[in-house]
Amino acid sequence: MQQPLSLKIGPSGVRGVIGESLTPQLVTSFAAAFGTYCGAGPILVGTDTRPSGEMVKQAAIAGLLSVGCTPVDAGIVPLPALMFHVREVGAFGGISVSGSHGSPAWNALRFISSEGLALRANQAAELTDLYHQGFYPRVRAPDMSDVRTDTTSSTRHLTAVARAVDVERVRARRFTVATDAGGGAASVPTLRLLEALGCNVVSVDADAEAAVPARPEPDEASLAELGDLVRRSGADVGFAQDADADRVLVVDEQGVPLGPDATVVLVVQRWLERKAGPVVVNASTSRMVDDVAARLTCPVHRSRVGEAHVIEAMKEHGAEVGGEGDGGAIVLPVNPCRDSFAAIAVILESMAASGRSVGALRAQVPRYSMVRERLLCSARDIAPSLRLIKSLFSGEQIDLTDGVKVTWPDRWLLARPSATEPVIRLAAEAPTEAEARSLVNSVLEVLSPGA
Amino acid sequence: MALRELKIGASGVRGVVGDALTPELIVNFACAFGTWCDGGPVVIARDTRRSSTAFRAAVVSGLLSTGCRVIDLGVSPSPLLSFAIRDLGASGGIAITGSHNDASWNALKFFGPDGALLNAAKSEELLDIYHGAAFDLATWDRLKPVETASDIEERYLGYLASALDADPIRERGFRVAVDFTNGACGALASRFLESLRCTLLPVNAEPTGDFAHPPAPTAANMRQIASLARCFGADLGAALNVDGDRIGFVTGEGTALSEEYSLPLVAAPRLRRRPGPVVTSYSTSGMVEALARSHGQRVTRGPVGESQIVDLGLAEGAVLAGEGSGGVAVLPLGVAYDGLLALGLVLEEMATCGRSLAELAGGLPRLFMRKRELPCPPNVVYRVLERFRRHHAGDAPDCTDGVRLSWDDAWLHVRASGTEPLLRIIAEAPTQERAEALVDEAAVFARRVTFGHEGS
Repeated sequence: MQQPLSLKIGPSGVRGVIGESLTPQLVTSFAAAFGTYCGAGPILVGTDTRPSGEMVKQAAIAGLLSVGCTPVDAGIVPLPALMFHVREVGAFGGISVSGSHGSPAWNALRFISSEGLALRANQAAELTDLYHQGFYPRVRAPDMSDVRTDTTSSTRHLTAVARAVDVERVRARRFTVATDAGGGAASVPTLRLLEALGCNVVSVDADAEAAVPARPEPDEASLAELGDLVRRSGADVGFAQDADADRVLVVDEQGVPLGPDATVVLVVQRWLERKAGPVVVNASTSRMVDDVAARLTCPVHRSRVGEAHVIEAMKEHGAEVGGEGDGGAIVLPVNPCRDSFAAIAVILESMAASGRSVGALRAQVPRYSMVRERLLCSARDIAPSLRLIKSLFSGEQIDLTDGVKVTWPDRWLLARPSATEPVIRLAAEAPTEAEARSLVNSVLEVLSPGA
Repeated sequence: MALRELKIGASGVRGVVGDALTPELIVNFACAFGTWCDGGPVVIARDTRRSSTAFRAAVVSGLLSTGCRVIDLGVSPSPLLSFAIRDLGASGGIAITGSHNDASWNALKFFGPDGALLNAAKSEELLDIYHGAAFDLATWDRLKPVETASDIEERYLGYLASALDADPIRERGFRVAVDFTNGACGALASRFLESLRCTLLPVNAEPTGDFAHPPAPTAANMRQIASLARCFGADLGAALNVDGDRIGFVTGEGTALSEEYSLPLVAAPRLRRRPGPVVTSYSTSGMVEALARSHGQRVTRGPVGESQIVDLGLAEGAVLAGEGSGGVAVLPLGVAYDGLLALGLVLEEMATCGRSLAELAGGLPRLFMRKRELPCPPNVVYRVLERFRRHHAGDAPDCTDGVRLSWDDAWLHVRASGTEPLLRIIAEAPTQERAEALVDEAAVFARRVTFGHEGS
């Protein structure tokens, strides 16, 4: 039987292609399994702005009702706001319907625990087991609940974000900020946050509040457009968020994109200035974080890739700040998840407190070059491929926390299986791009000769 | 014995909410229906049951996934849905309603582009798609948002008014008591009766889905409305079922008429204004035959169930089709059972003839009907019918729908329920004793077969 490559059931949820693998039947059953897992109580359900959001949301609502849960429709909502809302109101759980950075053909269910966190690996495994057993005791008609609506997620969340930074200090600077929410769930809430921070906003979208999906995640073309806008408007900084607004990329005052790792670097730098302490980032995040932390004599711990792993390690090490090198910064006291709103607020506070431009803040840290590649790989080929990569570097310093990571004094190479797609992700960081590229190529030459 | 509390058949899919009727099953049927409609516009409506909210979500999701435009009428009666399908030129419709079943049940009823329930051939097409599970799922860029139809109720009320001779009703200013069974009709019915200048005493009008009594408009379930109609000094009382397709009547004196009266009461004004053939089911009282004869019209009988009766009615060019359950369709104007239209026509008859409901009912021939239901699991019910058929081989049995035996002045009909695991036995005769004897004989026979010690 042919294995569909378009469906991935994993620790970060259920992800699939609309019209192919992410069918309403699958969503209904998974929602019923999740409702059984959480218990018969309120479960928040929110979507991003994808056209398939309504279809998937209704299927999830049907599944939740069938097992006695009370679905609470939160409408179009950024993922970090939904997670915050779940925790604040003590809901039994949450489902975010968002394809996040995937193409518009994709959508996904991401499950949120009652603590407002992404499911831990063991919880995700338990949920998947429930789904596979296919036994979700349905309630009879008299015990069935009704759908409620509650669209206060963003208001609650932005209040908490504003509380975490020195609002007056940021307001006094009257920054001009260029935004590109990509027509995603962040479109409206980002405007609200920047209003509260006294910023003058210019947006890539003609109608920033329209929230019509333009692109799922910032790409080269959209970042160039944002950079252009920064230059034309004389903005102090540009922010580009992805569809579910957990991640944000930064463009400096010259209109130059600072790269996906800059977000967590800038946030970590500011947070450690305020309060020194340990930092946790994933294995694939830039060495720049180590340099920043070393200057403030703070330890850096590395976790497996994936939000849930980072957060678990943050708790274990007592870290307040951390994140991933894909634009996802985590400020634990604000919200225990990747949160583009918290990142934006902290970066603006950093600019206000230091009186420096965002480009100057970035320049305080040595520059490395990072090269990332993805290698299509069917599920059964992943383990042999990783073994092969490991054998290529025998004798070097190898870490197997997440895939295979090879570290040298000034560079590293990581090959690990994706949690969301049937691919092996390759990343390498070195002082120059040519050096990083050659590390990645040494793997590609072996695994996909002729490519 | 554990019965699978699920029925998939000509009346759609119906079952007990829980492990039998799951949202996955509903999603599959919605996908099958969306595929059958070829991604065209589909109108949906639901009743007030709490489980209807969950199944509405499942239906919306399934239809959207096949690229359909979904037009949601919200909590609305099935006859309004039928009207809206035709008015909006939709490809079909789904009513999410357990209709006359008790609150633990729910169901989907499927309507075609003509506004009628799917007939046997179309149902078979739908079931083939469902069983094949080869649904036409749409890619993301073909998914559409859910729409509403803003002024559909006004247009439906306009349609009802056009089907009636409304002026005589308005002049009379009737007092009408209606039991809405906590269903979907309350708001619409009060606007309808207001337009007819009637004074309405609403009973169980809150659309809560918590039914004050079992929802079928039988005489036994109309005790409350009967006594309230008398206290209120009503000219007429009525009970509508949850989705407004069936109606039962109560006289101003507080007598609950059997739901068998609804069809002949409507037939009188209909046949006077528009003479033509009438279609009814094998199980319906012979009263309508007597009435049609007095207008020089014939009655054709067919298998029980709205889809089959309306389909036969359309094929026969009938002007009226209905059943002893209280469901009446005014063909070809409407193609679904419509309780409000039936109510309007009975008011019209009272107004134009200047007679009370009791007098109109008294004018119909006096026949005695006896009905009995025996719990009978699906694996036994067809054996019972086959034995009974053989037992009465000499009485020229009609075997189109179960077994029907008819004599000059009486008939007996034994059939498997289309909606529940029951054997239904119905007999009608000029005397109560004769009707009872016919039912008793069939019931004893059925029990002997069911419990495995039959003689033949």
